[in-house]
Amino acid sequence: MAKKRGRGVAACWYGIARTATVDRAGAWAEIDDGGTAKIVTGVTEIGEGILTVLAQIAAQELGVRPQDVTIGDNDTARSPEAAHAGATRQTYMIGNAVALASRQARAALVDVLAKHWSVDNQSIKTAAGEAWAEGTNHKMPMSDAVHLAKARGVVPVGSASFGTDTTGLDPVDGSGRPWQAYVFGCQVAEVEVDTLTGEVQVLGIWAVHDVGRAVNPRGVEGQIEGGIVQALGQGLMEDYRTVNGHATTPNLAKYILPTSLDVPHVTSVILEDPDPLGPLGVKGIGEPAMIPTIPAVMNAIYDAVGVRITSLPATPEKVLEGIIARTAKRNINRVAAE
Amino acid sequence: MPDLRIEATINGRKIARNAKPHLRLLDFLRDDLGHTGTKEGCGAGECGTCSVFVDGVLLKSCLVPAAKAQGTRIETVEGLAKAGELSVLQQAFHKAGASQCGYCIPGMVMAATAALRANPFADREEIKERLGGNICRCTGYQKIFDAVELARDVQNGRRPASALAEEDAADGAFIGVNVRRLDAPSKVSGALKYAGDMVMPHMLHMAVLRSPHAHARIVSIDTSEAEAMDGVEGVITAADVPGVDGFGVFVHDQPIMARGKVRYVGEQVAAVASEDPLIARRALSKIKVVYEPLPAVFDAHEAMKAGAAVLHDYAPDNIVKHIPIRVGDVAKGFAESDLIVEETYSTQQVEHAYLEPEAGLAYVDADGVVTILSPSQNITHHRHMLSRIIAQPINKVRFIMSPVGGGFGGKEDMVYQGMLALMAMKTRRPVRVVFTREESIITTAKRHPSHTTYKMGLTRDGRIKAVEIKMISDGGAYGMSTEGVMRKAAILAAGPYAIPNVKVDTYGIYTNNTPSGAFRSFGALQTQFATETHLDICAEKLGLDPFEIRRVNAMRDGASTHTKQALKSVSLTRALDAAEKAARWEPGVPNMRGATRGDLNGEGTRPSCTLGARLAAAASPKTSEVA
Ligand code: FES
Ligand code: FES
Repeated sequence: MAKKRGRGVAACWYGIARTATVDRAGAWAEIDDGGTAKIVTGVTEIGEGILTVLAQIAAQELGVRPQDVTIGDNDTARSPEAAHAGATRQTYMIGNAVALASRQARAALVDVLAKHWSVDNQSIKTAAGEAWAEGTNHKMPMSDAVHLAKARGVVPVGSASFGTDTTGLDPVDGSGRPWQAYVFGCQVAEVEVDTLTGEVQVLGIWAVHDVGRAVNPRGVEGQIEGGIVQALGQGLMEDYRTVNGHATTPNLAKYILPTSLDVPHVTSVILEDPDPLGPLGVKGIGEPAMIPTIPAVMNAIYDAVGVRITSLPATPEKVLEGIIARTAKRNINRVAAE
Repeated sequence: MPDLRIEATINGRKIARNAKPHLRLLDFLRDDLGHTGTKEGCGAGECGTCSVFVDGVLLKSCLVPAAKAQGTRIETVEGLAKAGELSVLQQAFHKAGASQCGYCIPGMVMAATAALRANPFADREEIKERLGGNICRCTGYQKIFDAVELARDVQNGRRPASALAEEDAADGAFIGVNVRRLDAPSKVSGALKYAGDMVMPHMLHMAVLRSPHAHARIVSIDTSEAEAMDGVEGVITAADVPGVDGFGVFVHDQPIMARGKVRYVGEQVAAVASEDPLIARRALSKIKVVYEPLPAVFDAHEAMKAGAAVLHDYAPDNIVKHIPIRVGDVAKGFAESDLIVEETYSTQQVEHAYLEPEAGLAYVDADGVVTILSPSQNITHHRHMLSRIIAQPINKVRFIMSPVGGGFGGKEDMVYQGMLALMAMKTRRPVRVVFTREESIITTAKRHPSHTTYKMGLTRDGRIKAVEIKMISDGGAYGMSTEGVMRKAAILAAGPYAIPNVKVDTYGIYTNNTPSGAFRSFGALQTQFATETHLDICAEKLGLDPFEIRRVNAMRDGASTHTKQALKSVSLTRALDAAEKAARWEPGVPNMRGATRGDLNGEGTRPSCTLGARLAAAASPKTSEVA
């Protein structure tokens, strides 16, 4: 049989947000005319979908709908600091900051409504563009509620900052609290190895990742699928080369990337172990999604053809070399036995 | 050469224009006609971001001379949405979550449109084949296939149009709901402007002169001839920096442009600005730099030896950072072990290959605020660094983050923003730079390559008693994120396992190679590759199932990490259980069970691929497929 299949598994862990330093993010919120909302924060989208995540968080916290939320962002002169876009920190740091700022803006509106209807603040509910007092017939659209607030001289705004309780590492033994939230995951890979060419195809990945709480499950899947394929690139084909400092892979003809034909079917399983320290329970997914893929695939290659890849990438040449070496060894053993 | 006369129909409208004869169709569409939905990802026919229809045929416009447009009918991504309504395929991309950074998406939408025009009933495997010329670095393609299948089914009436609509959220609870991405319409329609798509009146184009040497002293730089060239509006070198030069995510060891010496091939040495990008590029050859080559070092292990070339005076041992982690006593742990397994692991340097090459636009506003618009992943820190470099108060420096066409850590370094700011200050005009794919690849940070020696001791039942891990990593010529990468690599190195004795050392080392920096998973990928492979080897030797060996050692609620942090809640065993179940894992020792396993080729796998087979099959469409 020229093609052999195998399976492998690998687990991972990862820390959320900046490492071994205090992380922080700020956000402003305003419930605006027409029952819309403005959220302003310092750093957002790099493709992961955080704008939508923040709109969902703000919408739920304020009682409007995601499409009612306008996000003003990404300008050091116009928005509060939210640090940087990386470190699997966006949903955790900025998401939590937006939730806290939204709660403050909502509280300002609730004050006005409670007085207006002569009810307790706690009985005021807001959701999907409506405000009402529970157990009464009092109800109005958010647009009217904002109008009412403004007529009373109140602009419903809020601002908040979310920070972590973390420390640096001891320079001698490395002890410390580098993160306050950790995530864990596990992936299984199924591969097919062509024993004539050494080519490896990854046919399936089952990926389980704890994200704390998934704000947008489809977005989480997107991060997992994208992370896995980036990892496959490193695992099987990508290799930036230099000779005496000069790149020999300076373009996309020489530097090979995974295409639509290289990717496995990915089955994502989202696990939710809520973070107890943040207001939302969310954690993150961007980086950990990549980590178990490569070892799971390498372990699957071993399962398929008995070749242990310890140096990346597992190019067809390398795998084939391993297969030939194994066969040679087997033959020698056979000769010795005879 | 005289200008070309081009008369063509573009997105249904007739145009008649004069154009420079050297232009590619891509330039003509983007620069002359403003159709910036068509992107340049590589300029060499490799990525598909520039895909358009010419007389109904899908072409990569970076490979087509503008002259070829004469008399043709061209469709760009901007032409797909009729009367402002997204096409079914664009709506399907929106619904399926098929766009992330969005930079590949216009080209992908064009290729997918072509696929469904060629075969309205294409199955998933054929769709994959037809999208094979378009690279996406973000999505992993799966949601893109989902989108094309959804569009196919809606177009064929197999699924109702409502399948494209937003899902409802119960009672305003939007957290946990698949709300469609709010930025997707701007991405699938090509409307979103990335930095390289933006123009300002009176704008200059900047080109960068780069080092041909890996390590050399700069004896002199003479820019006079370049400055005297017609059309050159400004030339800058390190001598133009008014403040304290130096940037980097952790240590500020990199000058805006080489200062005194160059440390890697491709390092920026000078820059020129002109209204005409061609003149800017030509002027680079008029800058005379005299170099005196220095001994160079290209291997991290060599760089650690006495007598190796030294890159930075502050680090005579070439060590950027060493991070130690110590728990218990590994000698004691190994003595208590029944089995000791040693192995070495290595990983290569990897390019981020975001589809959007670096680009930025800078200007000094009416209030004297130096403003830089770029796809920076860290505008906060860049603002701090630039204010020192240009000796301006923080509120006179403004960073705006333009839409990022993929970052993955590679856009955390302030590689070109400093040059842009200097040029804008010097010329008092808006200045734009757009890197070529080659510039992007050879001059920006990579994933750290690594070499790891690994020793693990276990008892017969699979319990890990001790691990000793040493990773040496080539950080390249500048510090960038090396310190942080070494830290994360070390903290997470031994994996999520309760191990009483741990010794980890990670070293980031300066060499004259392309710098290494931040890259998604930041060092943890390298060390956990070693740990998770090593565990498989140990499981085989001990006759254990790979899930079992992980369960035996898994951190659990209340565990103490290798940095001695107590964790309240650890979801690892839940993740292991869920993965084992989802994959229908058949337990056993990882000793080359291969095809004897019963769990292969089931749900969750794709068919194995033989190139070309699907298109061949598609060439003879089965009539039974017509709905
Ligand atoms: S294929 Fe034309 S820009 Fe990449
Ligand atoms: S969404 Fe495809 S490259 Fe970013």
